[in-house]
Amino acid sequence: MAMTRRSFLKATGAAAAAAGIRLDVPAAFAQANPVKVGVLTIKAGVGAQVGESGLRGVQWATDRINGAGGILGRKIELIVEEESSPKDSVERFQKLVLQNKVDVVQGGISTGVGLALGPVAEEMKALWLSWDATTQKGVEETIPKPKYIFRSTDNECEAIMASILTARHWKGKFKTFAGINPDYSYGRDNWAAFQAVMKKYDMGASPVLDLWPKLGTTDFTSHVAALQQAKPDLIFSSFWAADTSIFLKQAHAAGLTSGTKFVFTTAGGVHESLKKAFTPEGMILGYNTMYFENPKGSALLKQFVREHQEKYKEWPNYESDHAYFTMVAYKAGVEKAAKAAGGKWPTLEQTVAALEGLEVESLSGQRRYREDHIMEASFHQGLSTHKNKHDFVTIDPVEIMTTKQVQKPVGVGLYDWINGWKV
Amino acid sequence: MLGGVFHAATLFLVAAGLQLVFGVQKIVNLACGSFYALGAYFGVSFVGWSIRHGLPPALFLVAIIVAGLLLAAIGPLVERLLRVIYDRDESFQLLLTFALVLMFEDVIRFFWGTSPYQMGGLYLQYGQLTVGRLTIPVYNVIVIAGGVAIAVLMGWFLGRTRFGRIVRATAENREMSEALGVNMTRVYARVFTLGTALGTVGGALVVPATAAMSEMGIDVIVEAFAVVVIGGLGSMRGAFVGALVVGVLRAAAIATYPEMEMLAIYVIVIAVLVLRPAGLFARAAA
Repeated sequence: MAMTRRSFLKATGAAAAAAGIRLDVPAAFAQANPVKVGVLTIKAGVGAQVGESGLRGVQWATDRINGAGGILGRKIELIVEEESSPKDSVERFQKLVLQNKVDVVQGGISTGVGLALGPVAEEMKALWLSWDATTQKGVEETIPKPKYIFRSTDNECEAIMASILTARHWKGKFKTFAGINPDYSYGRDNWAAFQAVMKKYDMGASPVLDLWPKLGTTDFTSHVAALQQAKPDLIFSSFWAADTSIFLKQAHAAGLTSGTKFVFTTAGGVHESLKKAFTPEGMILGYNTMYFENPKGSALLKQFVREHQEKYKEWPNYESDHAYFTMVAYKAGVEKAAKAAGGKWPTLEQTVAALEGLEVESLSGQRRYREDHIMEASFHQGLSTHKNKHDFVTIDPVEIMTTKQVQKPVGVGLYDWINGWKV
Repeated sequence: MLGGVFHAATLFLVAAGLQLVFGVQKIVNLACGSFYALGAYFGVSFVGWSIRHGLPPALFLVAIIVAGLLLAAIGPLVERLLRVIYDRDESFQLLLTFALVLMFEDVIRFFWGTSPYQMGGLYLQYGQLTVGRLTIPVYNVIVIAGGVAIAVLMGWFLGRTRFGRIVRATAENREMSEALGVNMTRVYARVFTLGTALGTVGGALVVPATAAMSEMGIDVIVEAFAVVVIGGLGSMRGAFVGALVVGVLRAAAIATYPEMEMLAIYVIVIAVLVLRPAGLFARAAA
């Protein structure tokens, strides 16, 4: 027998009356609604590993928070949407905000997507804590003073750290260099930053070739051939996805890895695919904000890495750390704002104000949001080594620089800042 | 240069599959890109499985080719589906085969997930070849040689064997061949399977050097179309020359003006469309 809406209401009403409870909702009940968190992450293509890693980070944070009672007694409910092209991602963002009525959107990896999403989020007055998508153009031109967006660290941090390490290790040891970078804002930003730092340090080396494969390219044989012809002493790359290991494999097979110095700013994002068979020792390799085998890592990092390995049989990468941070920062922000508001669930504006300048412990250590809504974190890079228990390379020693050293301060243009360095 | 030829070799296989099917069945089979992607994924899995079951790594090339050929078994199934649109408008064919591309992409996601698949260091198994100051991976040379061998074999097959003659006759005039007692259903199924095998073997061959990704099918179709336009729709020789032109042009552009990589290819495509609209090796219209 089918139950109609009316008979259902009658039945529940009778049951409620019998149990002596009221159906009009008291305040405590509203508090028990879950906090809806929209998550936007890459699910397919070269960026899939990185996107998956972010999802694992946010899931781990959510499980821990929910296990400890949620945010002010409200459990977190994740609504995951796929990040793909800027247009589609913007539409899914709008769907999360308008249809799912999420309290906050976290995620966003590709800077191309970030650039498109920024103005939309501001317009919709939707709180968006970006994991990774931050471009100079977005910071300096499109949305210089965001109200509802909290951004990641600048795109160029990893390139600037790698450039400083290049100067430190190899000044005077190379005459020519080439770049191979993904052909969109992120790759362009990183290559420009590297060249600026090389100039600032007076390295006496000149660029001989810059290659721009599209993001998602898997056949680099022509690029490798062009590099063989140009014969640079050093190759700089801001590849951050599966393209890294494919390129290295093809470069190694063509003999390009012997005698050439390599700088990979964020290749540690796909570190497990950098097999010893084709990845040389002694190249500068960046792990972005989190290095899974950091010997000085916190207890939190060690627990996360252990549980991640047990569950997925893989070692986590930095995107987990970005994702973990945005979630715990959101929780801390809401709680701080609620305290200031006398225990009530804070308004969006109150949460935003609480997030500004907020510092919390993330997997990689302390991280915070600057007053201008940009993340502060530590970057981990080093020289690749084969001396480990894995079949892929790791780094030794691990060098750590904070955003205080590698990110331009509030209100200064990137290149003005670099040119103002005392070296 | 050689980098470009490597790319051309795999492109040729996909384009050849496209040409063969169009030449005989008059179907523009966009799904050839999916066969390529499926070949790559299945290749990775099959090689991994073979090595776990005691195949010496040195023989992985054999496993790859076997994987490509095994997977061609999906050819007859897809052909059976396409049979419903043989006599329909071309736009239906494009729509259905493109639908297949999207469906196969999801099939890949279902079986293999969304992360790219790689073959670790097997690519380096055969070492390198040094000619002067040039180092080339032996595997690349094998793939190039394989591409050329398949081109020659296809030429021999279509030109010299009995079945090849039937195929050509069917391509020229279907009604006439049918009237002369050729079993069209069987010819179509076989030709389509052969076209499928060219794609799946191509995908399996390229994967040790690169990686299998769910969207690789669409990328390769776009390039295969440039090849077909340059070479002429339906012509095997056109596929060979077109693939070489696209591969080498891309390599040359990357080495000299990297920004021109895609532009250079399409300038040639437009030039061919304007000057020789039927392509360089188009056969005379029947």
